[in-house]
Amino acid sequence: MKTREQEYRELFMAEALEYYDSMSRHLSELERNPNDAPALNELFRLMHNLKANARAMGFMDLGEVAHHLETLFGLVRSNEREFAGPLVRVIFQGVDALGSMIRAVGANQPLPDAQALLENLDRLVRGEAPILEGEEAENEEESSRKLELSDLVYIQVKKLDNLLNLVGELVIDRDRILTLAQEIGNPALQATAQHLFRISDDLQYSVMDARLVGVGVLLNKFPRVVRDVATAENKEVELTLSGQDVQIDRNILQIITDALLHLVRNAVGHGIETPEERVKAGKPATGHLELSALTERDDVLIQIHDDGRGINTEAVRRKAIERGLTTAEAAANLDEQAVWAFLFEPGFSMAQQVTDISGRGVGLDVVKLALDSLGGQLRVDSKMGEGTTFTLVLPTSIAVKGALLVEVDERPYAVPLLHTDTVLALPPEEFSVVGGVLVMHAQGQAVPVVPLRMLLHDEGDELFPLANKTELQGSQQVLIVNYNNRRLGLLVDRFLRQQNIVIKPLSKPLDTIDLFGGVTLLGSGQVCLVLDVPALTRLFLSKRP
Amino acid sequence: MPESGAITSSRNERATPVALVQLIVFRLGDEDYGIRIEQVKEVTVTPEVARMPKTPPFIKGIANLRGDIIAILDLEERFRLRKAGRPLPEHSYTIAVEAADYTLGLVVREVPRPLTLPLSQIEPTPEFVQDANSHEKYLEGIAKLPDGVIIVLDMRKLLSPSEVMRLPGKPAS
Repeated sequence: MKTREQEYRELFMAEALEYYDSMSRHLSELERNPNDAPALNELFRLMHNLKANARAMGFMDLGEVAHHLETLFGLVRSNEREFAGPLVRVIFQGVDALGSMIRAVGANQPLPDAQALLENLDRLVRGEAPILEGEEAENEEESSRKLELSDLVYIQVKKLDNLLNLVGELVIDRDRILTLAQEIGNPALQATAQHLFRISDDLQYSVMDARLVGVGVLLNKFPRVVRDVATAENKEVELTLSGQDVQIDRNILQIITDALLHLVRNAVGHGIETPEERVKAGKPATGHLELSALTERDDVLIQIHDDGRGINTEAVRRKAIERGLTTAEAAANLDEQAVWAFLFEPGFSMAQQVTDISGRGVGLDVVKLALDSLGGQLRVDSKMGEGTTFTLVLPTSIAVKGALLVEVDERPYAVPLLHTDTVLALPPEEFSVVGGVLVMHAQGQAVPVVPLRMLLHDEGDELFPLANKTELQGSQQVLIVNYNNRRLGLLVDRFLRQQNIVIKPLSKPLDTIDLFGGVTLLGSGQVCLVLDVPALTRLFLSKRP
Repeated sequence: MPESGAITSSRNERATPVALVQLIVFRLGDEDYGIRIEQVKEVTVTPEVARMPKTPPFIKGIANLRGDIIAILDLEERFRLRKAGRPLPEHSYTIAVEAADYTLGLVVREVPRPLTLPLSQIEPTPEFVQDANSHEKYLEGIAKLPDGVIIVLDMRKLLSPSEVMRLPGKPAS
């Protein structure tokens, strides 16, 4: 395993070499046509990026040369210097020097001395004539020039997606072969199947690994966002980033980009108070925002923490009653977490009033939806006057998910483990009927229970019939699922097993049925529907009597 | 338009070789139906079909066709040629038909057969039939053969997602 340091150095090298190649190309263009503005702009940009990267990696000499060249290109761009005469030669020397410095970094050698070059660049910036050595030096340079190809390849995400899908198919067939091999019982076949199992496991791991990127590629875009929002809102905000090295699937990062942007804007715009308010509340005038990533078992957590005013739980509670999401009596007994869950209800946040009072909530349902689509979770923690923390719980990789297989009417259904809570077998006495809804108690909490069959075969707009306890015969298999802090018990016929599944999306025209998150093929080749717990929960809430 | 001359001459069929169409012909109820072969991806013995809740009864479920998960439709029920909600027979065939961006399976009870006939033998459906019955607006035309007629279906119209999910007799949502 390579160290992080090595990996960064390789990335730097690859980028730097690419910059160097582009610079050489643009420089030749500029020499042919000194008025080529796009080439000049590109040179300026490349030089700037190279400078920033080199300094971040601690290659100060390299950064210094790039900085000087950038300054000079700046002068040429503003027409203060002409791209002609000795200036051109010095610039070519400069870019060549960058090339040999980059190569030295790659070979882990000390960087060549660039003092004479820097002095010449300084002279040009000051408008003096550079001191050029004889032609011989240049010839020597020419003979020692080498052409290099980068050690890294850039690849379209689409190609990786395709690769991942193919591996998904392979894994399904592998499981099928393994099952068949066991049935047939031929030892040689079984040994080969085992070997195939190991190889395809490694292959799957490698493909998933190839798709991982550091969370930093997204987090590093936020200092600018925070600065802009803070300026617009007249806030003073200091941003701290951490955990940029945490690895995650590139597509997951892509999907949560908007959600994260939303939460950060919210935190700066509504969470953190103005400097005056903060001072009055006895806090430092500058608000603090923290964006951090960490790994927890197989998940990646991304946290957005602000030290602002926090969520006004009572205002949210009042608003939820007002909007008919709950009754006044029920609301009074809800704990903070349950009340905050209302913030993620679709449309809830659109209410201007909540935004004004609690300073939270615009479009939080969008954040929730993004996480649901990934099978992730959103957690909130907040203290009035002290701040709010949003935690996005994300899978590292989209392809494979743990799932629990259950059976209803002799058909298997898969429930993603992310939404499963508890599995219980209970006698009918453990259930009671409250307001027409079947209820059980789990860990000291009343949990509504519904036969999964009823949710699956629900049709029309009528509410569910009132629950009747006498219909429960014998021991009942209950799977408690959890979505947005709501627990719901599903009665199933049988628990089959737990297994990793590769979810395939449903194709048209069936993709409009939101109860199913997709399908998966079981080892036996059987088609198995994957249940979408958020949609099941929503269906139950809208249809309960 | 420079092409207009060409169009007129192709209409004049005495001058050009007879244009042929290839159909896959299958039986629904007591009628013969046909689909143009270029709209058919493959014909296969129906794979295991998993009933999918929340779908109209004429969607028999979903099946795994070479790694693609496709919906299986019973057109006999869709066209109300038989009672809805019957289980699939033990042996049946599936015609995998390609729509714009997805594939769909049509389940039939007898082996479908290919048939080649001159395009001129397919007559467009008269207007009044088009409106008369719910399924007949998917008709491309009717082919007259010595031993009967074949109803040629226009798959592109039949397979738009809103049409597929529509219950017979109800407007598309």
